[in-house]
Amino acid sequence: MTSPTAGVHERKTTIEEGTHLKGSLVSKCAVEVKGRIEGDVTAPALFVAASGAVHGRVKVGEIRSQGELSGEFDANVVQLSGAVRDNTVIRAKSLEVKLAPPEGKTQVVFGECSLEVGVEPTQLDAQSRAPAVRALGARPPTDANGS
Amino acid sequence: MPELTAEVVLEKLTTGEKIDSSDLRGLVLSQAVLEGASFRRCDLDGANLEGARLARTLFKNASLREAFLVGADLREANLESADLEGANLQGARLAGANLNRANLEGANLQGADLSGARLTHALLESAQLGGARLVAAQLGHALLADADLTTADLDDADLGNADLRGANLDEASLARAQLRDALLEGAIVTRADLSGADLRRAVLKGARLEGTTLTGARVHGLVGTGNPSDGIVAEWVDDAADDAVPLRVSGADALALFAGRSAPAGPSNKRYFGRGDVLRNAHLEFEPGAAIEIDSLFEHCTIALGAATELCVGKGGVLSGCQIVGPGTIAIHGKFIEHESPGISGATQLVVSSGGSLVAAIRQPPEATRFAFEPGCFLRIKIQRAETARTTGAESPRSMRSGGQP
Repeated sequence: MTSPTAGVHERKTTIEEGTHLKGSLVSKCAVEVKGRIEGDVTAPALFVAASGAVHGRVKVGEIRSQGELSGEFDANVVQLSGAVRDNTVIRAKSLEVKLAPPEGKTQVVFGECSLEVGVEPTQLDAQSRAPAVRALGARPPTDANGS
Repeated sequence: MPELTAEVVLEKLTTGEKIDSSDLRGLVLSQAVLEGASFRRCDLDGANLEGARLARTLFKNASLREAFLVGADLREANLESADLEGANLQGARLAGANLNRANLEGANLQGADLSGARLTHALLESAQLGGARLVAAQLGHALLADADLTTADLDDADLGNADLRGANLDEASLARAQLRDALLEGAIVTRADLSGADLRRAVLKGARLEGTTLTGARVHGLVGTGNPSDGIVAEWVDDAADDAVPLRVSGADALALFAGRSAPAGPSNKRYFGRGDVLRNAHLEFEPGAAIEIDSLFEHCTIALGAATELCVGKGGVLSGCQIVGPGTIAIHGKFIEHESPGISGATQLVVSSGGSLVAAIRQPPEATRFAFEPGCFLRIKIQRAETARTTGAESPRSMRSGGQP
């Protein structure tokens, strides 16, 4: 799949292993983290290597992480392996976590965290509509007169 | 006599002159540095290119029958549709080379490095590939009948639809190799490692599997050897037809599959709740090892899963206000919406496929749940760890839904 930000991805801001960055990072190109960031990140894409860690508030188009995440992450597309620490919220339109082989290492270790993924289904099929709407805390569907 | 001498060839290549389609039969260019040169459609039958540096060289449609290429560096060379019948490529470096549709019939590739090489539709009948390195090589639809692949390293290689009839794969390593629809009739696969290999619909009739490791192999639709499966090492295999939910078969049932006896139709204690059925306020307990598929509407039900129990919420399934507890594996292709938090507790594995919806708090067991989420799934989940969940009583995911809801 061609990423809409493919052109931007050609140039990367890299936080090398052993580098610890504290503070906000705003970049027009993708950010690759092999070291550690503590703070806010705004960029088209964030790639976190197995040795990398990002702790803070992140707003990006795409996240691909094999490292450690904690904080608040907003992205369109997220691919996760590695670890998600406590008190983390991940909001995304699409999330992918692959199933690890049964004898293998767990693909992602989740701490206490929240995942908000995908757009609310607007049209549930007849079988599921009523219970789903109730459970999501919305008003029940109304008829044409609003009753 | 060749049309050009070695000196003339080197001079022409140095000056950038083309030698495509030249008659270079029997030419001696051993140890020559010819990286990136073009020998397109050249006739190099019987040529001596021993130890030559030929990385990225173009040999497309060239004829190299009986050529001597021992130890040559052909990394990323383009040999597409080249004729290498009977060529000697012992110890040659061919990593990343393009050998699609090449003719390597009877060629000697012993100890050659073909990692990541493209060999789709290549003709390798009776080729000698003993000890060759073919990691992640693409051999789809290749003809490898009667080839010698003893001790070859084929980990992660793609051999889908390959013809390996009568091939010798003794002690070869084929971990995670793709062998879907491959023909292995009469092949010697003794002491080979096929752990995690995809053998779906492969034909193993008459193949020898003594001492072969097949743990974790995918075997749906496999045609067995027809012989007793003594000596096969297969702690478990995956008999699922597709990638969505693994269907583990272990012990004697797994071995029976390789022998060719009919595959066990999954766990015998299978339950199915069909579309259109509605179940309310029920408490259901399933024994260890049971397989449950739900395509119905369940409301306010509690489902207790035993160890290794498989629960599948099908595309038509809706579990509303329900709770699932216990150490089973759960696959959600339909919808699950909790009533009481946590909606899912103690699951060893949780898969939400594309099109699946999950709105719940999930309490992991002490050894952590193995999660998988496919792109396209809908999640409003709060994941809790076992130890803290017990003491803090984590908040319901409804609190985090409030922002986007009326």
